[in-house]
Amino acid sequence: MSDKSKWRVHHPAAEMYAREHKQGQLSRREFLARATSLGIGATAAYGLIGLHAPAVRADGHGKMKGGTIRVQMSVRELKDTRTYDWSELGNETRGNLEYLVEYNNDGSFRPMLLDSWQINDDATVYTLNVRKGVKWDNGDPLTAQHIAFNIERWCEKDAEGNSMAGRMGTLIDESTQRVKAGVIKVMDDYTLMLELPDPDISLIAGFSDYPAAIVHPSYNPSDTMNAIGTGPYKLVQLDVGVKAVLERKPNHDWWGTAVYGGPHLDRIEYIDYGTEPSGWLAAFESEEIDMVHESVGEFIDVFDGLDLKKSEIVTMGTIVIRPNQLAEVEGRRPYADKRVRQALQMAVDNSVLLELGYGNRGSVAENHHIGPIHPEYAPLPKQVVDKKKAMELMQEAGMAGFEHEIMSIDDDWRRNTTDAAAAQLREAGFKVKRTVLPGSTFWNDWTKYPFSSTNWNGRPLGVQIWALAYRSGEAWNEFGWSNAEFDSLLKDALSIADADKRREIAAKGEALIQDEGVTIQPYWRSLYRHTTDKVVDAPMHVSFEHHHYKWGVTS
Amino acid sequence: MISFILRRLGVMALTAACLTFVVFFLTNLSPLLTNLAKTQADMRMSDAQVERWLGNRGYDRNIFVKYGEWVGVVPGYVIEGADGVIRARCQMPGQAIEDIAKYCGVLQGYWGRSTRFQEGVGDIIQTRLGLTGILMFWVMIVMVPAALILGVLAGMRESSKLDRSLSTFAIGTTATPEYVSGVILIALFASTATGLKWFKGTATSAMENPTFENFFLPVITIALYGTGYIARMTRASMAEVMTTQYIRTARLKGVAFHSIVIGHALRNALIAPFTVIMLQFPWLLNGVVIVEKIFNYKGVGWALVEAASNNDIELLLGISVVGVVLVLLTQLISDIGYVYLNPRISVS
Repeated sequence: MSDKSKWRVHHPAAEMYAREHKQGQLSRREFLARATSLGIGATAAYGLIGLHAPAVRADGHGKMKGGTIRVQMSVRELKDTRTYDWSELGNETRGNLEYLVEYNNDGSFRPMLLDSWQINDDATVYTLNVRKGVKWDNGDPLTAQHIAFNIERWCEKDAEGNSMAGRMGTLIDESTQRVKAGVIKVMDDYTLMLELPDPDISLIAGFSDYPAAIVHPSYNPSDTMNAIGTGPYKLVQLDVGVKAVLERKPNHDWWGTAVYGGPHLDRIEYIDYGTEPSGWLAAFESEEIDMVHESVGEFIDVFDGLDLKKSEIVTMGTIVIRPNQLAEVEGRRPYADKRVRQALQMAVDNSVLLELGYGNRGSVAENHHIGPIHPEYAPLPKQVVDKKKAMELMQEAGMAGFEHEIMSIDDDWRRNTTDAAAAQLREAGFKVKRTVLPGSTFWNDWTKYPFSSTNWNGRPLGVQIWALAYRSGEAWNEFGWSNAEFDSLLKDALSIADADKRREIAAKGEALIQDEGVTIQPYWRSLYRHTTDKVVDAPMHVSFEHHHYKWGVTS
Repeated sequence: MISFILRRLGVMALTAACLTFVVFFLTNLSPLLTNLAKTQADMRMSDAQVERWLGNRGYDRNIFVKYGEWVGVVPGYVIEGADGVIRARCQMPGQAIEDIAKYCGVLQGYWGRSTRFQEGVGDIIQTRLGLTGILMFWVMIVMVPAALILGVLAGMRESSKLDRSLSTFAIGTTATPEYVSGVILIALFASTATGLKWFKGTATSAMENPTFENFFLPVITIALYGTGYIARMTRASMAEVMTTQYIRTARLKGVAFHSIVIGHALRNALIAPFTVIMLQFPWLLNGVVIVEKIFNYKGVGWALVEAASNNDIELLLGISVVGVVLVLLTQLISDIGYVYLNPRISVS
């Protein structure tokens, strides 16, 4: 195994949990659940809190050979892999069409069809080493030419609905809408070089995304179901909206058995129970499924009441409640003043927002939009909530009498979280008005509202979000923030592939975003999945991926 | 008789044509087409991309031409799209563009292709109608005998305690729509809420292997609703028959009460319920939509909901034709059956 995949021994969040456990804020059980859900082995997790792991059975977590798992998931029609727009599509084909790298819950990337990769210091030259011994199910060996074929396919920007083109942006020649000449170099059968015109550290993350399934050069986009693949499972049945079935390929020697172990199951059935979770509940109670794709809303508590196993995973999905510094209200720009923004931030206790807005289903964030699962996350000293000082700052800025209007979309958690923030601001003595807009009109102007909340999905790298939303002049910069110092920090960070080196710069950026009071970013959301007791090693995944080869059932 | 049936079939074809055109017109309204393009290709498409997508697939043409294609009287389109790909209506998956048929419509036996399921509409309707057929069969098996027995028992002695209690039950079930009774039944008999997990609250597994356990609740949910209604009709009809002269004569002659009910009253009392039962078929199709959705049983009702929410034009058309045929066919059967049950009426 190569060390180039940026494995870390301990995840920072796990260390944080260990600290919390020692301070008595987390029970041992809760700590173990969280630490192991971050991908830390149970033994290592026990080690973190200074205990010895209890003896484990030697039969591989009690998984038996064979078996079936039935999963509730919406079964969607397949299309060209690069145009996938739902993670469910990736799950339907992942057993057959595998990926170059696999994104894991602890934020690490694990090499799959790649054996390892090297990135030079300014992230312009990628060397991809293709795993040897991987075979397509028609018997062909997987080679670097096949990978080059796939990357070229992703770079066809004019292909209808090709979302991989966005992830491969630096490789694409705008005039031809194809990959730039000379970017991809096939060195030999198992080595591939990518020479980029500009630095790009997000390519590996892009390779792990669900539209980046690796297909054979003979791939026919209109018959994705029967595509030639490298994986251990074959999609044998697909009835859109009804059912999809994956079965072990009978005569296929899968590369991963020797590398990562598995696959354990013979068969995986996806059964579509519609979008209404009460149907999933009925399915659990009728013992027709062993697992749901995702447990949502109040049904998390309902499923807890049944005899089910819950897995929780903190994601980097979040909400920001932010003032827009450029927005004009009654002829002035109330949020251009740094003191006003700092006062808003200082008056709001993020843990209260997590509790009232999202039922404590997540972990508290630090107002800078980089979190524990991002590889470059650097912990900063805790910010203090001081409502009195906040009011003083506001008075100093001469804005104590100003009425803040906070907008949010009309839904459950986003509205509640914004309500909680408004209540906190009122407690500090500020005048606050809440406006709730329906979903059909909210998004028309979401970047321009003077003060509003927006939900953000997680991305593997913290700097990806900064580049999208915090850099000056970006289309999604809803903060109206423009800061030359931050821009130059970000530019440096975006050309450092090594997460440890990038962390030093990220720490400065994080501090700057906090200090400027750019936004209130209260918490990271958790995702949940319930399974029956017999299901082993099928926890929730940060980006909803199903890694079938890890799954098993107890005997 | 033959000419009566032919006339009825003619009416059926005409109704189907009118109804499908209305459905066709409504599903081809421009906002719905935009919606279709977006759900099919990409939710974040720009307006220009939507136009191009629709143009490439022939959706932007005259509605009569498009309807004619569906019926099979206008040649299917062959369009070279703005993206250089040639698309043709009559091109079946895996078929070369050179050897496609000129016409492909309902008259040629081609029902089109579902955009939601990416499958031939004919195949979908066949599978889904089969599943719904099994459901309806069991509903009829439960509903008709239960309703007739209830109705006859209630009607043979009007205003008795038996009549009052059975009528209350019948009115109660008829007044409870399926979406209420379904949910209540699940909560009572299939959830941990009461702990009585006698049946299964979902019928998904019944599609492959219907058992008493997984099929009882959906069947009883639909059956209850119809039972009350038919029982009321039977009761009214039975009560009326029981007051007629010949029944009184029979009683005065000393015929036993059960022989009067079975031998004298029953046949006459069943004429009205027969029509009602036949009318229940189209009504069942109504209930089936709700019940299939609640119990996640993927029959024609479920397909209809999916087609409607995804603006799946050709599947909607296919299902409307099924609806028309079902309604008019059951009416035809009820009219003919009536003639045999009631000699005073003739069809010609």
